Amino acid sequence: MRRGLIARSLVELPDAVLQARLDRLGAAMGEAQFDALVIYTNNTRPAGVSWLTGFVPYWSEGLLVVPRAGAPVLVVALSFRVKAWIERTSRVGEVLHTPRIGLKAAQRIATARADAAVGIVDFEGLPSGIAEDLREGGPGLRLSDASALFSKLRAKADPAEIALAARAAAIGRCALGVAAGDTLGAIVASVEAEARSLGAEEIYLAAATDLDREARFMRVEGERSLGKSFALRATLAYKGTWVRLVRTFGATAVAREAASRLAQAVAPLPGDCGFSGFRSWLIEGCRTTQPLDALMGSRVDGSTPPPPGALVSVQAAVSIDGQTVLVGAPALIGGRGEASSLIVDPDFG
Amino acid sequence: MLAEQRRQRLAAAMREAGIDHMVLYGNAWQGDYLRYGADFGILEGHGIAVVAADGVVELFLDSATEVERAELEAAQVQVHFAADIARAVGTRLDRAANDRIAAAPRRFVPRWLLEPERNFALADGTALLDQLLMHKTAGELAAIRRAARIADEAYGEFRRAVRPGRRQYEIVADIESHLRRRGCPDNFMIIGSGGKDVFGMTPPSERRIAAGDLVTTELTPAVEGYFAQICRTLVVGKASASQRRAFDVYVEALEAGIAAVRPGARAADVARAENDVFRKHGLGEYTTSQWTRVRGHGMGLFADSKPHILEDVNTVLESGMALIVHPNTYHPDAGYIVLGDALVVTDRGCEVLCRTPRELFEVAA
Repeated sequence: MRRGLIARSLVELPDAVLQARLDRLGAAMGEAQFDALVIYTNNTRPAGVSWLTGFVPYWSEGLLVVPRAGAPVLVVALSFRVKAWIERTSRVGEVLHTPRIGLKAAQRIATARADAAVGIVDFEGLPSGIAEDLREGGPGLRLSDASALFSKLRAKADPAEIALAARAAAIGRCALGVAAGDTLGAIVASVEAEARSLGAEEIYLAAATDLDREARFMRVEGERSLGKSFALRATLAYKGTWVRLVRTFGATAVAREAASRLAQAVAPLPGDCGFSGFRSWLIEGCRTTQPLDALMGSRVDGSTPPPPGALVSVQAAVSIDGQTVLVGAPALIGGRGEASSLIVDPDFG
Repeated sequence: MLAEQRRQRLAAAMREAGIDHMVLYGNAWQGDYLRYGADFGILEGHGIAVVAADGVVELFLDSATEVERAELEAAQVQVHFAADIARAVGTRLDRAANDRIAAAPRRFVPRWLLEPERNFALADGTALLDQLLMHKTAGELAAIRRAARIADEAYGEFRRAVRPGRRQYEIVADIESHLRRRGCPDNFMIIGSGGKDVFGMTPPSERRIAAGDLVTTELTPAVEGYFAQICRTLVVGKASASQRRAFDVYVEALEAGIAAVRPGARAADVARAENDVFRKHGLGEYTTSQWTRVRGHGMGLFADSKPHILEDVNTVLESGMALIVHPNTYHPDAGYIVLGDALVVTDRGCEVLCRTPRELFEVAA
């Protein structure tokens, strides 16, 4: 539930960028004959609403109502004492405050048209209490799932989103790069201080404390002894854009080789999969509302290859000269014959 | 240890209520119900645990990254990766369709699982879980006490971090770094700075601290998943006479609220005791929802647990509950002021956990 800097920058996320996204959505809604689209947001599912408005909830939940034409309306369970903060940090036409966001959103849509066709992003996963309130507030509304429509628009990153991801990656790389200390707590503290001081909205750090014993990451609580090689994973957000980076410590030469192999494995995406030499691997990206959904990986059934132009985060484990190395970085999927490429170099040597 | 105690309490409560399976939903915002049964502190995506009355727990997660972590951190639980989590849980519940199944918190459970076409029906188990979450064991209270110690220390760090010219997010960076150094993985923290133009606290912004600012914060670190909160206000430079007069009202209200905490009292009694002080000083308007959200709340596996301390909440307080009493609100002469202490309800009253003095602190301008 932690949060760092939440602020909107008109340089990094200009009105024109958000309006262009809304215009594309409006056109797609017209084709699908939706009168309105509804997107849920909370602390862990912010990526749909933040993509259209910049709004990131630090607490509670909300629904964005996007009419086919006109400005979106944000219905939030946050009290109206934070209305000014919401208006400062996001771009919406109107903010409505109510504990029953489903009821208010439905009433708002039904006022314009009682039998409106309403597309709901991730309708199956919508909290049931909100779904019940939508039906109560607009008994004549025709509700259906709009995940596929939204996902298709959301998949390809525009230059503003790529720039935010690059900034997030740069913060993460810098923070992992300055990691220092005699204990795990001190190391994690140094990474977190750097990332947040550079403006990270959030950073979750996980550790694999002894790669000779265990190559999976755990949350850091209390103190743990460190093996001769260990790894940290930073899951980091900057202005609504999330990335993951991994650094292995204590194995500089093989970590450099692992970084090189990761770049090679990523290059052919989304076509051929170049991860055959890795012990495990995972590619995550945003489909609808969760920032990092599993798309492909050694443990993922039914892969969903990211389309050209998508932003993803890649993490992998590889054995080199008998040593386990964990490596990870965000990447941009290539298009029109271009290779996919990592956004930052995961070599910290 | 704590996890096993919770699981046993849950199983006993399920047996008593005649529930065969409990479906617990959680995410990083509200993860307490899930953590109670599955002992997993979820950070990303959705998590749903299916807890059988015999104690077997299956945990479904839609984040592959979280699955890996859960396998290590919740070793007693069967962990499943399920990109389509509602349908995966539905398939599991189909095998128990003739059993009695309840869900908590039911309103957060994915809609698909409650559609009438399903082979199973989910009763509302929220009240059952709420009772378990509110009434803490000795082990749970010990974790909250440790979290309160960390909150006190972190507020000391906060006082050192606030200096003119620093941005709010740089101060929060110092505090979060301090907490990680202490081995504390989670914290809920909001902040405000300024004067009469500030009406509440939010996540940190780029606003710079200036001389004369009131700087408010609510710090809520967690130990083993259990949160404890402290609320304090400081002034950058010398506090003015009006700031001091305003702050005295909050001290009086906090003391009145704490004095009202005892077994058998209602949450409403505590809120009324705090608000009566504001009314006595002609500030009753500032106890309404236009200016303040709650006058305190429960603490535990969620930073904002039940019961909420409001004049219309009639939850009876009982020994073993953990609360924060905080008469936080706007004051027309000074701006938004916060002051709150974590406490545990005891047999004879309460034990205040926060040791930071109830002062309007001053830091160098």
